[in-house]
Formats: sequence, structure tokens, C-alpha cells
Amino acid sequence: MIVARSGDSGRSVVVDQGLVRAHALAAFVALLLSVTFGLVIAAQLVHPDLAGGVQWLSWGRVRYAHTQGIMLGWLGNAFFAFLYHGVPLLTGRRVTSARLGWWLFGVWNFAVLLPGWVLVLAGVSQPLEWAEFPLPVDAFVVLGLVLAAAQFLPPFFGRGLEYLYVSSWYVIGGLVFTLLAYPMGNVVPELVPGAEGAAFSGLWIHDAVGLFVTPLALAIIYFVIPAASGRPIYSHFLSMLGFWLLFFLYPLNGTHHYVYSAIPMAAQVGAIVASTLLGVDVLIVVTNLLLSLRGSGVVPRDIGLRFVATSTVLYLIVSVQGSLQAQMAVNRAVHFSDWVIGHSHLAMLGFATFAGIGGIVHAWQRLPSARYNARALEWGYWLLLAGVALMVVDLTLAGLVEARVWQSSAPWLDSVRAARPYWIVRALSGVPIAAGFVALLVGLTTGPRGGGLKTLRVAQPELAPESGVAPRLAPAEAAS
Amino acid sequence: MTETSARAVRMAYLVASVAGGAFFAMSVVLLGVWPGRVLEAQSRALAPEHVQALTVSEQRGREIYGREGCAYCHTQQIRYLHADMQRFGAPTLAWETRLDYPHLWGTRRIGPDLAREGGTHTQDWHFAHLFSPRAIVADSVMPAYASLFDGAADRPRQSARDLVAYLETLGRARELAGPEGAAHAREACACDRDEMLMMALSTTLPLNASPARPRPRGDAPELTAAGDLVRGRALFAASCAGCHGAAGGGDGPGAATLRPRPAPLTQHSYARARIVDALWNGVAGTSMQAWRDYPVEDLAAVADFVLSLDATATNEPASAEQLALGAAVYAANCAQCHGVAGDGRGTAVAELRIAPTDFRSQRPSLAVATQALRLGVPGTQMAPWIDRLSDEQRVAVAHYVRSLYRSGAARGGAAR
Repeated sequence: MIVARSGDSGRSVVVDQGLVRAHALAAFVALLLSVTFGLVIAAQLVHPDLAGGVQWLSWGRVRYAHTQGIMLGWLGNAFFAFLYHGVPLLTGRRVTSARLGWWLFGVWNFAVLLPGWVLVLAGVSQPLEWAEFPLPVDAFVVLGLVLAAAQFLPPFFGRGLEYLYVSSWYVIGGLVFTLLAYPMGNVVPELVPGAEGAAFSGLWIHDAVGLFVTPLALAIIYFVIPAASGRPIYSHFLSMLGFWLLFFLYPLNGTHHYVYSAIPMAAQVGAIVASTLLGVDVLIVVTNLLLSLRGSGVVPRDIGLRFVATSTVLYLIVSVQGSLQAQMAVNRAVHFSDWVIGHSHLAMLGFATFAGIGGIVHAWQRLPSARYNARALEWGYWLLLAGVALMVVDLTLAGLVEARVWQSSAPWLDSVRAARPYWIVRALSGVPIAAGFVALLVGLTTGPRGGGLKTLRVAQPELAPESGVAPRLAPAEAAS
Repeated sequence: MTETSARAVRMAYLVASVAGGAFFAMSVVLLGVWPGRVLEAQSRALAPEHVQALTVSEQRGREIYGREGCAYCHTQQIRYLHADMQRFGAPTLAWETRLDYPHLWGTRRIGPDLAREGGTHTQDWHFAHLFSPRAIVADSVMPAYASLFDGAADRPRQSARDLVAYLETLGRARELAGPEGAAHAREACACDRDEMLMMALSTTLPLNASPARPRPRGDAPELTAAGDLVRGRALFAASCAGCHGAAGGGDGPGAATLRPRPAPLTQHSYARARIVDALWNGVAGTSMQAWRDYPVEDLAAVADFVLSLDATATNEPASAEQLALGAAVYAANCAQCHGVAGDGRGTAVAELRIAPTDFRSQRPSLAVATQALRLGVPGTQMAPWIDRLSDEQRVAVAHYVRSLYRSGAARGGAAR
């Protein structure tokens, strides 16, 4: 454990260093495996017989492992790693208990992720998007979320609500609402049939992104920008406005996954209106974030800050795209196509992953005995950015091409034939992405011990933990 | 922060927190519970009284469909959109999915929608296709599910049988309800002003619009313009060679397990209209699907390429006595099915699953004809005649049916 200074009080606080490290490393292990799963299925679209008839390597099962691994294994662990750093600094208090922390670590990785993967590959799963792990595993996810709430939430309630910084709100909101939404998406469709169940699935598909991934990613972004730049967030008022609008609007988006379906049109239209309003909310959030980044340059030198700055821009793009594709005129064409796969990669691999990495790198850099290799991290950033850009542009084009064939009277197979060159490029785009992740892992596991802090002391001595100047994370200090 | 403003902020946050919870609850009610109630009422009004539940085998097949992620490439949800309805058929109504725990709607289409798959392909076709998709559809990217078989497509394990049994149920309930069901539903829902429901229950819309679904012969377009042979060869290689073989010998990689076997195109002379009919309508009861999604120029090109494959000897000399004997045997034994005139319109046709060969538009080689007479045609009702007709009689009949061929015959027999 290390001692850092809380922005709130300037007091010394304790960060559980071991848990930051454990979750960060678990996150990267899960990430590399999930990316491997992704590469396997991307390659199978180009060489469909690649799996050689091995059933546990077949496309459908590996896809289940890919998305669940990214959401729970990679992002889940990345968020927890950040929270062990962020929560003490946000609250001036320790998380509930290190012992509880190791239980959470064990449950999340060895009762959720590992058995989940083994089971879906063995053919025990449920065919529900973003909910493929079978019900017994879901029980442990809920247990994990309860443990996480018990671990991270109590420190926030030490003082009055008015002292909470926006990141704290996002952490509280994310953990509480995920706990509510998870059973709805994972259990209800098993109990409610067909179209009625699909309505709940639609809610969860969006809540998984909107109530789990987005809030925790935004918590990181709102934390790292002031902490790494030394400048407070532009407007605390806009922060909070964005936060509440997000939590009001996000849950109402779900049905936009089933436009022109049998679900009552009023529900579809309502979800589309909410999706449009959500785009407006994101403009508020991103404007505030970009104004807070003024002075950090287009490509910030601090690598953690650079990742969250890029994440902010990707958040803007993916959200505007989301609002656009929810519109009926667009949805009727691009729904069911690779456009949507591009969108989800822009969200999960772009926005959320960049935020997750930003959070990990920021926390890691401040661990006194952690290795740190800035050059490798630098490589990781550019490889990843190039790979994501290539993949998203490629899949978006593929979606437009497929949509065009579908609108015509051409045979169905023509859309498969037309997509092939794009699928080749998409599989290739996985190479820089995977290489980028390896470079990032190298960046965190090689180089001198304490290299991150040394770099920090040279680049921004005023922000080093021992400087006595705390990151400005309190609402009271926010200029607006 | 002064104490008053702090209290104001605290109050605002409390109100917002309550509102946040309320919005979440609202989302569940407005987008989950309420639509569910509407759909349930609608299903009660529109569904046929006794929707057939899945059998144990079909249910197991459904579980395989779920665990293999089939729904991640094949939707089971036809949207209220012209493009969807034209390709797949009538929009999916909620009641059609009301036995689905959980739903298998899907959000991505790499392969075609399967909401109306039942009746589109034969069981043989499904087995061959599941075992090795590219043996049947050269450009498919579907994973092979060889692990559901004991080493060959004609040795399906129970799991493959279950899966195909499940695929056969897709669209079944609505199909069984038939036009009466749609009429009943229109009356029951009193939904003249509900644009979506009126679309779903439209009488002009085919329930299953799949261009691959075989139909009875007879309504193919007349294609008079000559087809482009180069194009025809390419199309044949991409879509036909899997079953009919690269050279048209009926021995493609997907052929071995299909019953009846794909026609050896080299061993037949066809009237062009007969080929166009088979392309347009498929051959009902066999694994020959229809290709109505291809432009007619493409069908003409394939037809002309298939004509060019004909390698049968035109000159198989038969004596007058042989033909007379053949005619007598034919009249006594074959005319019930193949018709007195050999046009495939015998009196027994209504009983047959697969239309009998129309010899006026299709002339088999002597070898193929005698082989069929000896051993029958597995997968069809053509029986072996080896113990009922003498060698001499069978050869005579073979010569006789070959003599019936009219190369200019306008179209195939309109049996069934």
C-alpha cells in the first residue's frame, strides 16, 4: 500500500497497491485472451474452416467468450484497478477492506470469468447478447457487484453529498444501477418469452454499455484529466448536469436495438427520442471535458492523460453515431450490418478501452515500485489508435455496402461476397490492436521500478504525490 | 460553500438521485413491462387457439441453435420493412415467438433471416449444409458443424437431427394457421388503424418469401434471349457445382448424401424451358432449391450453360420392335405416374411428393434410364423394376421414353 494525498482534504490516504496491481494485470491477461478470441473469429470470417471442426473453437462460442471477456474480464478488472487508486483519492478514505478486495478479485476472476469462459466454450451458455455467461455464473457476477459496492461505496458517504466530485457520482451510479440492471438483462428474458423477453434484452444491451461501462469510463476520464493536467475541470455544474441527464436518459434507450420489430411502435419511438436526447447530453459532457483539456495540447505528453483525452473524442464520435443510427431512416438500412459491429467496437474498444487504459496507466505510474516503460506505452498508444481507426472505418464501410445489397433485389449471398474484402481488412486491423496491447503490457512490466514516478517528477514535479499538492478533484475547487 | 448553498446542493442531489432511480424504474416499466403487456394481449387476440409446442427433439435442437450462437448471424425477426418482407416474408408477429425462452431474435445478419426457414430446404440439404457448408454453398462463411455427425453428412448424430428438426419448426405455427388464421386475426384484432398489424396480416404478402423455397412447376418466366455462357459458367461454378459437380456430372462435394441425387446434367438432354423452370421454382420435394433472387438474365445464362453440358449420345439406335415393346410396357406400368403421353402428368401424380419426370422436356441417356429402371431412384417414388421387368423390357422402355423427347417442348409438365 502507498500513501497519497487526497484532493478533497489534502490529507494522506492509503492506496491498496497490491489490489491495483492484481486487477491491472488480470485486466491485461483477460484483454489479451479476449483479443485472441476476437482475432480467431475475425479470421474465421475470412477462412471459415479455420477451426477445423473443433467445436469449442467454432465462431459462435468464441464470439460469446470474446464479448463477455471484454466486458467483464477486461473492463471489469480495469475499472476495479482504477477504483483502488481513485476512490481513496476522491474520498480521502481507504476502501472498505483489503481482505474484501481479495475476495472480490477471486470471485470476479475465478468464479465469473474463468468458469464463464470454460462453460461458453463447452457449450453451456445463454444466447442473449452481452449476457452469454450461463445463469450460475450470473449469480457470481451479482455477488461480485455486491462486493464491489460494499468495497467502494462506503467511503463516499463519509461527508455530505455536496462534497462529491463528479467521478464519485459516476462510480456510485455505475455500481448501483449495474446491480439493478444485470439481473434484468440476464434472467428476465429466460422467464419472459419471445418478443416480450426481447424488450428486456434490448434494455440490457444498452444498460450494459450505459450503466456499467460508460459511467465507470467517465469516472476515470473526469478523474485523470484534472489529476494529470493539474487544472480543474472546466465546470462542475456541467459535469453534474451531464451526469444526471445520462442516468435519466440511458436506460430509456434500449428498444432502439429493435426498431421496426413487433415491439409496440410507441416504445420504439420513445427509445429513439431518448437516444437523440442522449446525443445532446454527450455534447454537454464532452464540451466540458474538452474545455478542461485546454492547454494539454492535442496529443498530451502524459500518456494516461493522452489515453483519456482520446477516449473523450471517441466518446463524442461514438455517441453522435449512436444517436444517428437510432433514427429510423438510418436504422432501417444499417441495422443488422457490420456498421453496428463497428459502432460497438468504437464504444468498447475505442471509448471504454482507452479510458480503462488511461486509468490503469495513471494509477500504475504512481505506484512507487511498479515498473514503467514509457517508450513501450507510447508505441502501444499509436498502434492501438491506428488499429481501432482502421477497424471502425472498415466495418462502417462494410455495413454500408451490405446495406446497399440488402436494399436491392440481389441474392443474399452477394452481401457476403461484397463484405469479404472488408472482413480481410478487419482481421488485419486486429494485428496492430493486439500488438498495441502487448506493447502496453510490456510498458507496465518492463523498465525501471518506480520509473513512472521518476518520469512524473521530471515532467510535472508539482503533480508528484510527494509534492504535497493534491490533484484538484473537489467540487469546491472547480472553476465554472 | 455557505451552509445554505450546501443544503440546497444536497437537496438537489437527493431529488436527482430519487429521480435517477425513478427514471430507471420508468425505463423498465415503459420499455419492458408495458410492451410485454401489450404484446401479450395482442398474442391472445391473434394467435391460433392451439399453437403447437416444440417436441423434445425440437427443443433440444433449439438449445443447440442457442449454444452455437446461430442467432448471432441469423436473425429470427422479419421487420416491418419492404426490404425485409420482400426477402423473407410477412413481418414477425409477437405470438410467433411466444414459446421462445429465451428469444432468439438476434441483432446481426451475416446469413439470411431464418424466421420462415421451415419448408425452405430439405432435411438432406440441411445435413449436407451443416456438415460442410461450402460443399453446398461455395461462398458461404458459415462454420462447419461436422461434430454433430459421425464422420459423414449422411450419418447425423441425434444432435444434428434435433437441430434440423428445430429449423423445420421455424415459421411453422404461422404457416399452419394459414390464410384462415390471418383472416381470423384481422377480425379479432380490429386493427384497421394499426398500420403495422395490417402490414403483418396483409393477404397480398407471401408468408414465406424466400426465393430459395421450391414451388410447384409451371409459372417460370419465359426467357427467350440467349444467355451469356461465360457468365453462366461462373454462376454455375459458384452456386450449382457444389451439388451438380464442377463438370455437371451430378457428383459435387455436397452430392453424396442428397436423396434424390442431384441430376447428372451431362447425362440429360433438356428443353431449355425445363431448366428455367427448375431454376425458378426449384424441384419441390428434392434438395434443388429455387433461385428466384437471381436476375432472369443470370438464370438464362445458367440455363444455356447447363444445355451446353449435355454429353448424351443423340444416336442410340432402337428397332421398331423394341419401341413397340417399350410402348406396351410403358402403357401398362409407367403411364400412371409419367402420363400416357410421357408428360409427367399421370393420374397418380397427386399422390407423389416429387413430380415424375416429364420425358417430353427431359431425355435421360440410355445408361441413366436403364439404371433408373433397374434400381429405381432413391429418394423418389420411382421403384426398382429389376424383378418385375425383364432386361429386354427395361431396355425397350428406356428407348421408348427417350423417343418421347421434344426438344422444343415449351415447358415442363405442370404436375402438382
